[in-house]
Amino acid sequence: MLTFFALVMIFPFIYMVATSLKIPADTFRYPPRILPRDPITIAVEGFKDPLPLYYVEIQGQKQEYALAKSNIKVGQYADPGNPTITAERRLTEVKPTGGAMNQKTATINGKEEKLFDVEVDGKTIPMYLASQTTVGEFIDPKNPSSKVYQNVRLSTPVENLSSHPENYTNVVALQGIDRALTNTALVTILVVLGQLATSIVGGYAFARLKFPGRDSVFIFYLGTIMIPFVMLIVPLYQLMVLIGWTDRLAALIVPWMFTAYGTFLMRQHFITFPKEIEEAALLDGASRLQILTKIIVPASVPALATQATFTFLYAWNSFLWPLVIINVGNEKNHVLTLALNVLRGRASDSPNLILAGAAIAILPPLVVFILGQRFFVESVASSGVKG
Amino acid sequence: MTEIPNQSNKNPARQNEFILRLLSLWRGLFSVLAASGAIAPWLGIFPNLRLWQGLLLTTTLGLASIFSAIAAAEIIKRRHKGRTISLFIDYLGLVACILIILQVGGVFIGIDALAEVFGRSILFLLAAFVGYLISAAGDYFESRSTTQKILRQVGKWIVLIGMVLFLLTANIFQGLLAIINKLANPMGITAIVSLIIFGLALWGMWREPTASALKAKTNHEQMLNGWLFLSPNLLGFLIFFAGPLLLSFYFSFTDSDAFNTPKWVGVENYAKILNITIKPLAAPDQLAREALDIQVYDEVGRIKFGNGGILFGAEDKLFWLALRNTLVYALFAVPLSVIPALLLSNILNSKLPGMKFFRAVYFIPSIAAIVGISLVWQWLYNATIGYINYFITIGVEFWNNLFNTGLIDPKINWVSDEKTALLAIIIIAAWQTMGFNTVLFLAGLQNIPGELYEAATVDGAGPWDKFWRITLPMLAPTTFYVVSTTTIQAMQVFEQVFILMNPPEGPNNSTITLVLYLYRSGFQNFKQGYASALAWVLFIVIFGLTLIQFQNQRKNSLYE
Repeated sequence: MLTFFALVMIFPFIYMVATSLKIPADTFRYPPRILPRDPITIAVEGFKDPLPLYYVEIQGQKQEYALAKSNIKVGQYADPGNPTITAERRLTEVKPTGGAMNQKTATINGKEEKLFDVEVDGKTIPMYLASQTTVGEFIDPKNPSSKVYQNVRLSTPVENLSSHPENYTNVVALQGIDRALTNTALVTILVVLGQLATSIVGGYAFARLKFPGRDSVFIFYLGTIMIPFVMLIVPLYQLMVLIGWTDRLAALIVPWMFTAYGTFLMRQHFITFPKEIEEAALLDGASRLQILTKIIVPASVPALATQATFTFLYAWNSFLWPLVIINVGNEKNHVLTLALNVLRGRASDSPNLILAGAAIAILPPLVVFILGQRFFVESVASSGVKG
Repeated sequence: MTEIPNQSNKNPARQNEFILRLLSLWRGLFSVLAASGAIAPWLGIFPNLRLWQGLLLTTTLGLASIFSAIAAAEIIKRRHKGRTISLFIDYLGLVACILIILQVGGVFIGIDALAEVFGRSILFLLAAFVGYLISAAGDYFESRSTTQKILRQVGKWIVLIGMVLFLLTANIFQGLLAIINKLANPMGITAIVSLIIFGLALWGMWREPTASALKAKTNHEQMLNGWLFLSPNLLGFLIFFAGPLLLSFYFSFTDSDAFNTPKWVGVENYAKILNITIKPLAAPDQLAREALDIQVYDEVGRIKFGNGGILFGAEDKLFWLALRNTLVYALFAVPLSVIPALLLSNILNSKLPGMKFFRAVYFIPSIAAIVGISLVWQWLYNATIGYINYFITIGVEFWNNLFNTGLIDPKINWVSDEKTALLAIIIIAAWQTMGFNTVLFLAGLQNIPGELYEAATVDGAGPWDKFWRITLPMLAPTTFYVVSTTTIQAMQVFEQVFILMNPPEGPNNSTITLVLYLYRSGFQNFKQGYASALAWVLFIVIFGLTLIQFQNQRKNSLYE
């Protein structure tokens, strides 16, 4: 049961990566298959280009034949006197009865049909064209004179496993994902650093320094933690308009450097730090800033890493605020989520490209998570519940 | 001989006296300047200033002027209060100057230029980071001091070279030149000069001799330190959170459209949102226009019973549809992501090997970008080639073969059918948040003392009894936390809908959500005043739901 759930959890990611390595035709195949496959081609004597291989059935045996010619028109001919006598011939093989200039006709079911000379078992019978299909000419690659005709669409191609990492370069070229990636990295790095800096000093002030007004400010901070971000979206937008930051990356960075929740978490962490060490350092003449940077911060690396990871994910994945503040046309300043949103419309018929884009957006946080997992999962839990 | 120490004692004292006088003079001067600044907006010098901006400026500068005057008096009386106020005002002035310089110098906007070359320079930044890791790795070799030393040295050099190359590739000199260029105007120079003055005033006030002359004590120092440490956070919080929050409240009573001066409209926005009507129906399928005043109301929905029914109409039909969809979404998404998480965490809590691996795997969906996730699911949901329908087909065939029934493969058009569109979103949400909740529950489980279970085993309780009688009650605080955060999140659903649905509101408005509607009103129709009112209504709904859960939890915990 655990394994089943794990599969359910992980399946969309496997699907994403596998599909991002497929060729377009493979993505639209039904029934769907996980792994990317390519049709195999083979060089055959007498043909300039390599020919695609298909499975054909000869005397009950499956064999690999190459498709030499497609779109061969084949007619199903029938005898107007006795419709049970039929023959399948290529259109080019039969000649009009009575010559092309003076073709004879017959009336079948009240409709006038042209007649053609069709050889059946050595006899020539004038027949009419009852129906028409197209088939492909398949030849044995080892013995090109052995030919089989069958419908190409209903034949199964011979395929092998292969991958197409060029989808990734294609999507970069199509949507400028590289620029979006570096933008996102820049925004995320600055937001994480800014948040850490402000919440470390703020958390320290709340945890360790006594001053009038501290507790009321702290309660005020606590009260705002529950307020959802969408409350701010309209006034923040107008603020950005006022200071000329619309369409600018600064709007994605500066407002997010300050966090009540992060400050709260830092305070909760610092408050557990033994006071004696700090007092000893104070007696030695260290300033508060020295204590913070030289003693407390190095001792709090796990908590800081947790918060950094949290902030990283939040900044990396945010969508609504960039959507509001960065213009759709200004692709220079797009972050990954915005680029994906545009890509969704631009490449709506190529899932391989869209999912390659999605993979570019999803995989970096995954790597960060795997690196930071040692502290992360544990402390998410503890900080959440105790908070 | 005796004169020299005397003089050196006397000189600093006199110097100190001089500085103090200068400082009180500065306070007086500042008070006058601030007062004139406070009056300036009302003399028509700045025609572009909006009313609230003028009010803000006057209030700030007026307060600064008054406090500065008080501080001047206090400094003359040699009281510490004067120092405190002085430091506060000068510090705020300094910060304001720095911000103005950064803004005028185009530093914030210059981030775009940095982004232009960041793709090139990020590699050097990474190199610097690797250097830092190397020097940090030195700490692991504390026993071998030479190794440690070498690692530290190498790391330091790599960091240094990486940073220098990073700055060079990021066109640091061009950037600095551009900033200096932009600052070379009256505004920029005034800001720089004021920056220097504020800086000097701060230094003069902070110095040890000034502090002792004004009778500073340890608790004074601690207070100043406290506010100083808190200030970056608090200022940012006020500018980018509390201020906008107030602004949002104001906007919700106006017809603001982001470009023109907003007009006060009172509670009109709220009245429009909440204006509903309920009418009886003469027949179940009676036309809405016969029952409603369609000049004002639109039909939201109807309940049919017997040969009549009830019709719900609202002035803003989309809001009520959005509210309905969001509530339905939360009603299903929350239990679907909480209950399986609770069960899973109980299984994972066993001390079997491999549990850490499973825990990590369950966690993965919650860290991936929702936008990316939604794109993946969009193709999974595809009606003809998607895996979801493929699995359903396989399942139906299997069932038919097994029980010889004739079930028909439904071939669901997940996202384009109004009956399943919301369900599709709910499934994604359950999938995505379940792992996170599982981890939270696991943490809660680990806090339950094992003795409780041992005692229960002695009393002959089965695993089911233990789950109901021990695990659930002991987990109540965790459950409350998980349920309320999941609900708050669910009420703000937006990204999935926006990406997955085309158009985002879904077929026949079946997936329009509150945040989506807010986004529509505020940023596509630019009715920002109305959108602000919607935001406050959303907040009240969320707050109400959380309050209900809180009450519930309190009531339940009484039985413990």
